[in-house]
Amino acid sequence: MEDNAELESFRRQWREEVAQKTKHTRPTPAQPRLSKPSTAPPSQFPPTRHEASQHEEVHEGAASIDHSEIVHGMGQLSVHPSDEDAFHLPASRHEPKSALEHFERAVEKEAEGKLGDSVQHYRKAYRLDSAVDKTYRNKYFATAWKKPTQAPTLGATTGKPTDQQTQEETPVLPTPELIASFAHLPIPQAEPLIENTPPPPCPISHVPSEVLVEILRHVALMDPAALCRMALVCKRFAYHFAHEQHIWRRICQGPEFGFKSMHYSFACDIHGNPEHTLGTRYTPFPRSMPVQIPEPLSSWSEVFQVFPRIRYTGIYISTVNYTRPGAAAAYQNVSWNSPIHIVTYYRYLRFYPDGSVVYLLTTVEPREVVPHISRENVKVARATTQKQHPRHTSDATVSAESTDAIPHVALEALRHAYRGRWRLAKPVADSDSSSEDAQNELPTAYESLPDKAVASPSDPRDLIIETEGVGPKYMYLLQLSLRSTPAAKSKQPNVSPPNPSKNTKLAWKGYWSYNKLTDDWAEFGLKNDRSFVFRRVRGWGLD
Amino acid sequence: MSATMLTFESNDGVQITIARDVAERSVLIKNMLEDLGDTVEAIPIPNVNEAVLRKVIEWCEHHKGDPPSTGDDDDSRRKTTDIDEWDQKFMQVDQEMLFEIILAANYLDIKGLLDVGCKTVANMIKGKSPEEIRKTFNIQNDFTPEEEDQIRRENEWAEDR
Repeated sequence: MEDNAELESFRRQWREEVAQKTKHTRPTPAQPRLSKPSTAPPSQFPPTRHEASQHEEVHEGAASIDHSEIVHGMGQLSVHPSDEDAFHLPASRHEPKSALEHFERAVEKEAEGKLGDSVQHYRKAYRLDSAVDKTYRNKYFATAWKKPTQAPTLGATTGKPTDQQTQEETPVLPTPELIASFAHLPIPQAEPLIENTPPPPCPISHVPSEVLVEILRHVALMDPAALCRMALVCKRFAYHFAHEQHIWRRICQGPEFGFKSMHYSFACDIHGNPEHTLGTRYTPFPRSMPVQIPEPLSSWSEVFQVFPRIRYTGIYISTVNYTRPGAAAAYQNVSWNSPIHIVTYYRYLRFYPDGSVVYLLTTVEPREVVPHISRENVKVARATTQKQHPRHTSDATVSAESTDAIPHVALEALRHAYRGRWRLAKPVADSDSSSEDAQNELPTAYESLPDKAVASPSDPRDLIIETEGVGPKYMYLLQLSLRSTPAAKSKQPNVSPPNPSKNTKLAWKGYWSYNKLTDDWAEFGLKNDRSFVFRRVRGWGLD
Repeated sequence: MSATMLTFESNDGVQITIARDVAERSVLIKNMLEDLGDTVEAIPIPNVNEAVLRKVIEWCEHHKGDPPSTGDDDDSRRKTTDIDEWDQKFMQVDQEMLFEIILAANYLDIKGLLDVGCKTVANMIKGKSPEEIRKTFNIQNDFTPEEEDQIRRENEWAEDR
């Protein structure tokens, strides 16, 4: 059988890869998942069946390429529209044909967590070309192989592979001097397209610093990520990006992306209706009085980076995969005579600055549902459920026209979304004023919660979410904690490690259901559950 | 009082007469008038040419009824990205004009106009990649690949993904 021969070669290939991987995996710390599916490490291979329960860790540890190299590789990829995210697709997607295309699609699917589909594409890719992984590597990571011979000479410190906060805060920069040297450089004008013709006008180069800074401030208030891209335009902007700390202070203090809109006590009820209090809400950096940069940090940009913060500009996704054996069926593909089902489901969390949150557990994959997750659509989805009941037609008709925009799959999923509310644990209270409220953390807030549930009550990175339950008498309590993806160690000693976003992960601490009638707590098992990872979604939180 | 007319002279020698309350949108001119008292002579505006000055005056005319801005950092109330419709139309000019207006607003100290101008530029930057930003403003990339890479790593956190 020709089929079998091919399959054999695929298996052999696979075994080789696995063997090769295990040789040099151990010391690398868990690799952060890459955000762009198309650039996921090529060495991520379909999991072997028996290790399914830990496969994610295995995978993340197994990437044989250093993270920094991947980042390097990513830098060389052609620029894609920077606002792009994985949830809005270019209108037409052709079906993969060549081995490489299949492989690319497989990597993409795997990054999304769709292991079943991913395996399918991998298999097709290897059938078409047994050396497809090499082709793939050459396409995306060619630059990573040929090591840059003269890298930047400034000595670099290597990142510590730990996410403990004290470690995070140690500066890793040889870069400041480099940036400082950019201080008064002019904005360089583009050269003329045709030689000896006047260059294209570059009016921005005549603008004085104070006005440039003003422009940058506006950019930052629209989207801090845009400011980051500005820093890569030319040296002058890189300098301002690093040195205009008042811009960062403004962002930290402001309500758009900063800590003004973080909640340290619940701001609404579980259904999202605002609760009003007479007292002033706690905010770590009030604008009405002079504020200090909190102790271990040294700049406002660092505060913005490191201080626990919830993002409104995207979605937090927890992808869970598990396998279960399926029954053998006669018509199944011969190669899988006892099928294994790879089940993938997702938990989504979308936070709102007013203290509410939408929580969704579904098998619908991100691409289908993420762009539609919003409080409004949850309302719409619920209203259309009620349409079946003749009594509620009046309020269903109102929303009827807006349903058209939401695809059926998403609508179906959103019907089961829960509304809720969230708050962060208060950062360690400074001596006097608010110390009393600070005691009012998890243990006392939920008196009847079993003791063992209360882990470390004073961690300022803790996030507490209450959502609606399956029926009106239940309330769910989620305790999560903000974490960062550990910085990868740089193999090249003179290249500084990447400096990725902090606090973009939400690790589980506990998940309970509370019966309001009987005052009973029940704990949900979190056997398969993975951390939530933040992904930006175009247009969210930017107005 | 408000009917008092003042004459300004642009740097290319054109005289323009406008009402005093319009002119006083400019903090520079307002302070100057307070120092000078009433004057009948044409006031020279050395840094601004006629076309730009007319644009600036057009803006001041339209916004003469606006309440004076109270402080420089009170913009947290209203949405920072908002530009009203008239201003958007007003700012539909070529890039050279746009930056000249911004420079004039900065020189004449007209906070509102400076804000609108900067927001307009910020809108041109928003959502673009560094390369696209360079193209938009005809800026040349002056990083070496190593430097660019180093800055990219260093600032990666702000991309927020």
